[in-house]
Amino acid sequence: MIEALIQGLFLVLQWKALGFMMLGVLLGFWVGLLPGLGGATTLALMLPFVYTMQPVEAFAFLLGMHSVVATTGDITSVLFGVPGEASSAATILDGYAMAKKGEAGRALGAALMSSLVGAIVGAAALALAIPVVRPLVLTFGSPELFMLAIVGLAFIASLSSNGGRGMLRGFLAGALGLFFATVGQDPQAGVARYTFDLLYLWQGLDLVPVLVGIFAIPEIIDLAGRGTSIAGSMPKEKLSAGALEGVKDTFRHFWLTIRCSLIGTFIGILPGLGGSVAQWMAYGHATQSARTAEERKGFGQGDVRGVLGPGAANNSKEGGSLVPTIAFGVPGSTAMAILLGGFVLLGLVPGPDMLTKHLPLTFSMVWTIVIANIVTVLACFLFLNHLARLTTVRGSILIPLILVLVFIGSYTSNSSYGDLVVTLFFGAMGYLMVLAGWPRAPFVLGLVLGKIAENYLYISIARYEAAWLTRPVVLALIAIAVVVIIYPLYQARRRAVHA
Amino acid sequence: MPRKAALILSIGIMLMSAYGIYAATAWPWKAALFPLAIGIPLFCLAAVEALWAYFGREGAEEGAMELQITPPGRSTWIAAGWMLAFFAAVVLLGFPIAVPLFVLLYLKLQGGERWTLSIVITVAVAAIFYGLFDAMLHLPFPSGLLLDWLGLA
Repeated sequence: MIEALIQGLFLVLQWKALGFMMLGVLLGFWVGLLPGLGGATTLALMLPFVYTMQPVEAFAFLLGMHSVVATTGDITSVLFGVPGEASSAATILDGYAMAKKGEAGRALGAALMSSLVGAIVGAAALALAIPVVRPLVLTFGSPELFMLAIVGLAFIASLSSNGGRGMLRGFLAGALGLFFATVGQDPQAGVARYTFDLLYLWQGLDLVPVLVGIFAIPEIIDLAGRGTSIAGSMPKEKLSAGALEGVKDTFRHFWLTIRCSLIGTFIGILPGLGGSVAQWMAYGHATQSARTAEERKGFGQGDVRGVLGPGAANNSKEGGSLVPTIAFGVPGSTAMAILLGGFVLLGLVPGPDMLTKHLPLTFSMVWTIVIANIVTVLACFLFLNHLARLTTVRGSILIPLILVLVFIGSYTSNSSYGDLVVTLFFGAMGYLMVLAGWPRAPFVLGLVLGKIAENYLYISIARYEAAWLTRPVVLALIAIAVVVIIYPLYQARRRAVHA
Repeated sequence: MPRKAALILSIGIMLMSAYGIYAATAWPWKAALFPLAIGIPLFCLAAVEALWAYFGREGAEEGAMELQITPPGRSTWIAAGWMLAFFAAVVLLGFPIAVPLFVLLYLKLQGGERWTLSIVITVAVAAIFYGLFDAMLHLPFPSGLLLDWLGLA
């Protein structure tokens, strides 16, 4: 195994493979920065180019590109409050709030360093987990995956607000997200639900226009209202000085970063949940790490732990999602399904062969994730201070540029004007939610999980009827969901009694 | 204002979920299961929130972990107006014309920037738009409806 690990490293370090990896990293860097241009789309666009490549070169190119998209996606989220990728939306909540406090450098430093740690943990998990992961994945059937989605939603709904009413709003936002996820043709009976005879709505609401609207529009309106730069009147020295502080933050909260990386890896391994879920689960866990209510209030206002958690998880999930793709040929996400296409193009069959005959190639993928992320993070740190200074540019100059980015990002997801209408609608809704003090995180998680949860619920009922509720893992997950809901209420009540 | 926003949202959600439940009753159970399972609790939660927003007292401890936003005012409506105008320009004139036009007009009319800076930024944005999205990525940006009607596309 060690021999294969070293062989894998040497394979990636061959000049041709390394060259293709760097090309992939360069492409992924820009794809991550631009909202709307997703990692999966770019993978699909680049797939035809791998025909003439050797397998190791092809995977260095594709994985190099794909594994840095989430890293640079965080940069746009922190600087402008616009999610560069659907999987980097959670970074906005605290990353952009830090940028507004003049701590863009620190937030970027934390996001990049935690991304690197996450990528390494994910890659290590890929290397270590392959032999042991099979029984774990097989334990999780549709009932367990449905309950896992519910636990995730309970986590984020109960932790993203304070007090009883805060929890009500959290669950309301989560349920609203689930409800919007029902728009479109239903997968079981083929009924067009809430489509109002509009062809655009048949495929359901696309995540990118919704995310761009709900996060970017309120921030743009706020920036216009304040009439200043994003960082306001913060001293310029503070902006550039913080990058190293952000790196230190990663190590100050090292175990949180590791735990969130493991959450990302685990979510990545499970088929069907994907990166958009991993970041919110990690954010929920990061808020849970706050010991007191006072401490928890800092989340959403610029707590660095709210950047570290999603930053680590959205990178570690790549290594995780490669596990079922390589080991069983079961892709865990759209991007992995496209990568599976790459396997077929190159004449490789995922499965036992990848763990025996082609083990060095499998390990070359592990090294690609690690090296590509190290190169990206180092390159980002070179420009970090300049990037952070973008937050001092006058709002009147930034607003039209961000709006152009928002509109193009939204439009390119389906090349339809409907995308723009969706962005504006959810922008208005997001603005009202922020104004009313409703959390946006549960809404987004609900929207992401809706289709998956519906599918798993239907299969569970069709296959097991009510007996699915008595499966041991389901019972354990129900217990976790109940504790997650009741514990914050119990804590609040205890505080009220003591006060 | 938070109370007003909460009321608008919760009443809007009540109306939407009521329609959602009503529409779902006409579908086969396979298609209606999830919308009903979500729609009914959504309606109830929104009703509780609406009552709380109307009769309740806004507690300081109940805010969401969210960004603090400047209270709405004239600037909010102006910003919303610019967004809608940009949307209209994109639909009528198409992205290739609407993008530079919007950037130039915003910088000059709303931002009050100097002509030189406004033109330099507009040219840079137009160059990036054509270079990256059109020439390199070949993303399809249709010409606007107005140009189609006038036969200029």
